[in-house]
Amino acid sequence: MSQVDWIVLVGTLLCIISYGLYKSRTTRNLDGYFLSNRSLPWGLVLLSIMGTQASAITFLSAPGQAYTDGMRFVQYYFGLPLAMIVICIFFVPIFSRLKVYTAYEYLENRFDSKTRTLTSFLFLLQRGLSTGISVFAPSIILSSLFGWNIYYTNILMGGLLIIYTMSGGAKAVAYTQQLQMIIIFTGMFLAAYMVVNMLPDNVSFTDALEVSGKMGKLNVITTGFENGKFNWSDQYNLFSGLIGGFFLALSYFGTDQSQVGRYLTAKSLKQSRMGLLMNGFVKVPMQFGILLIGVLVFSFYQFNKAPIFFNDVQLKKLESSVYKDSLAIATAQYETITALKQKAVVDYSAASDINDKDAKAASMSILEGLQKQSDSLRKSVKGWLASKEVGGDNNDTNYIFLRFVVDNLPIGLVGLLIAIIFLASWGSIAAAINSLASCTMIDFHRRFTKRKETGEQEYKLSKKYTLAWGIFCIIVAMFTYNVGNSLIEAVNVLGSLFYGVILGVFLVAFIFKNIKSGHVVFWGAVLAEILVLTVFILTKVGIFKMGFLWLNPIGAFGVIIFSLILNKIIPKKIALN
Amino acid sequence: MRQADGNKAPFFKNWNGWYISLIIFLVLLIVLFYLFTKRFA
Repeated sequence: MSQVDWIVLVGTLLCIISYGLYKSRTTRNLDGYFLSNRSLPWGLVLLSIMGTQASAITFLSAPGQAYTDGMRFVQYYFGLPLAMIVICIFFVPIFSRLKVYTAYEYLENRFDSKTRTLTSFLFLLQRGLSTGISVFAPSIILSSLFGWNIYYTNILMGGLLIIYTMSGGAKAVAYTQQLQMIIIFTGMFLAAYMVVNMLPDNVSFTDALEVSGKMGKLNVITTGFENGKFNWSDQYNLFSGLIGGFFLALSYFGTDQSQVGRYLTAKSLKQSRMGLLMNGFVKVPMQFGILLIGVLVFSFYQFNKAPIFFNDVQLKKLESSVYKDSLAIATAQYETITALKQKAVVDYSAASDINDKDAKAASMSILEGLQKQSDSLRKSVKGWLASKEVGGDNNDTNYIFLRFVVDNLPIGLVGLLIAIIFLASWGSIAAAINSLASCTMIDFHRRFTKRKETGEQEYKLSKKYTLAWGIFCIIVAMFTYNVGNSLIEAVNVLGSLFYGVILGVFLVAFIFKNIKSGHVVFWGAVLAEILVLTVFILTKVGIFKMGFLWLNPIGAFGVIIFSLILNKIIPKKIALN
Repeated sequence: MRQADGNKAPFFKNWNGWYISLIIFLVLLIVLFYLFTKRFA
C-alpha cells in the first residue's frame, strides 16, 4: 500500500475512535450504558441496525459471490422485510411495554427463569464464538493480501473498537455506526463508479451488463426448480429466500440481543418501528447494489487479465507443490483464453452498436465456450488446492473484490476501501460486544449476585464485562487461525442450528397464550433442538439434501408443535409446578 | 422507550399502512428483479 493509502486508512480509523470517544458521555447507570437512555431517533436506530448486520464479510464476500455465482444471493434477503413487519407487530410492543434490557428478560416474565437462562446462555455461546470469527475473517484476508502479521491484525481488528465501546456503551456504538455507514456507502459508491469508468471506451454499461447476463451473472431471480422438481439443497432461490430467509431474519432481529439492543435504544415505540421498517425498505436494494459491483468487477475482468486464483498466498503454496507444472500450464491456458475473451467481448459490443443480431449471437457463443473453459481451469486449481499435498483454503470468493481494489483502484481509494473493511467489522463487533456485556450483566450477574449494587457500581462492572468480552473475542480469533478456515463455515451454520429454536420459544410466548408452563416450552425447545441437529446430521452424511436456511423454520415450528403436544399430554399440575 | 412520544404512524392512518407499503414494495422489487433477470439472461 502507498503512503497516501496508509494516511487515509489510519486517519479514517482514528477519526472513528475519536468520534466514538467524543460521543461517549452518557448517564453512569445501566439505562445510559446499555440503552442510551432510550433516546435515539429512528434514523440513528436504522443505521445502527444496518451497521450491526453488515460485517466486513458482507462487503468482501457479496461482490465475490456475484463474481462466481451471480446475483441470486440477493434472494437470501427477501424474507427480511416481512420479518420486520412481524417484529413491529409482535415483538417491539412487548419489549417496549415491559421496558426490558434484553430480549430474554421477557421469557422469565412469560415462562420461568430456566427458559430465560437457557436462551440467554445459547445467545452468549453462539454470539461470543461468531464474534471471534467476525474478528478473524477479515483479518486473515488483509493479512494474506498485505503480508501483515495475523495476530497483530486480529488485535487491530478486534481491539481498537473496544476503546469506544467500553467507554461509551450503546450510545458510542450507535453514533460510530452512523459515521461508519456513511463512509462505507461513499466508498462503495466510488468503487462502483470507478469500475464502470474503467470499462473500455467502446463498451457501454449496458454492454457490460449484457455480457455478464449472458454469462449467467444476472440471475437475480431463480426458482430452485430443476426439471420440474424443487431442489432442496439449492441455497439461494426465491422460496428459500422468502421462507428460510424470513425465519432467519425473524430470529436474528427479534431474538438476537445484538439487534434487539439496537432498537431498544430508540426514544419511543414509534421510533423503533420506523427504524426497523426502513431497514426493510433499504436492505434488499442495498444488497442488490453491492452484488452489482461484483458483476461489474466480473465485466471488468472480461477486458483485463484476471488472476486464475485470487488468493496469492494459496497460489504461492501451489507454485511450490507437486502441482507447480500443472499450474504453469493452466495459467498459460487461462491467459490465452482471457485474450480470446477480450476479443469476443469487443466483437459483441461492436455488433451490438450496429444491431447485427447474427454477429452478436456468434460472439456470445464463442464467449460462453471460453467462459466454460476458464471456469474449468479455475476448478482444476481449486481441486489441486484442496488436495492432501497442498491443503488449506480453496475458496477465493472473499478475495476477489479486495484483489481487484488493490490491483486496479487509484491511490487513496485503496486506503479508503481497506478502512471500510475495518469499519464494517467494527460496527458489527462493537454491537455484539455491547450485547454480550448486557446479557452477562442483566441475565446473569444481576440475578445471581447477592450483593446490592448501586447504579454507578453496575455501570463500572458493565464496562469490565465489555472489556472481558472484547478480549474473549480476540482470543477466539487467535485460536481460529490455528484451527483453520473450515471453522468459519461451521460457525455460519451454527446460527441456523440455534436461531430457529430460540425463535420458536419467542413465537410460543407471543402467539400461544394457552401455553403457560415453562416446563412445556423448555422441553419443547430441547426436543426441537434434537430434531434440528438430527436433520443437520442426516444432511451431512448425505441421507438427504437440504440447504441450511431450512433449519430455521424446522427449529421454530418444531418448538411450537412439541410445545402444543406437551401442553396437551402433561397434566396441568405438573406443568405449572 | 418512552410512550409519551406517541405511537401514531407517520404519514399513514395507522401502522397497517406502513406494513402494506412494505409488502407492495417487496413485491415490486421481486417483479423488477424478475424482469431484470429476463432482460439480461
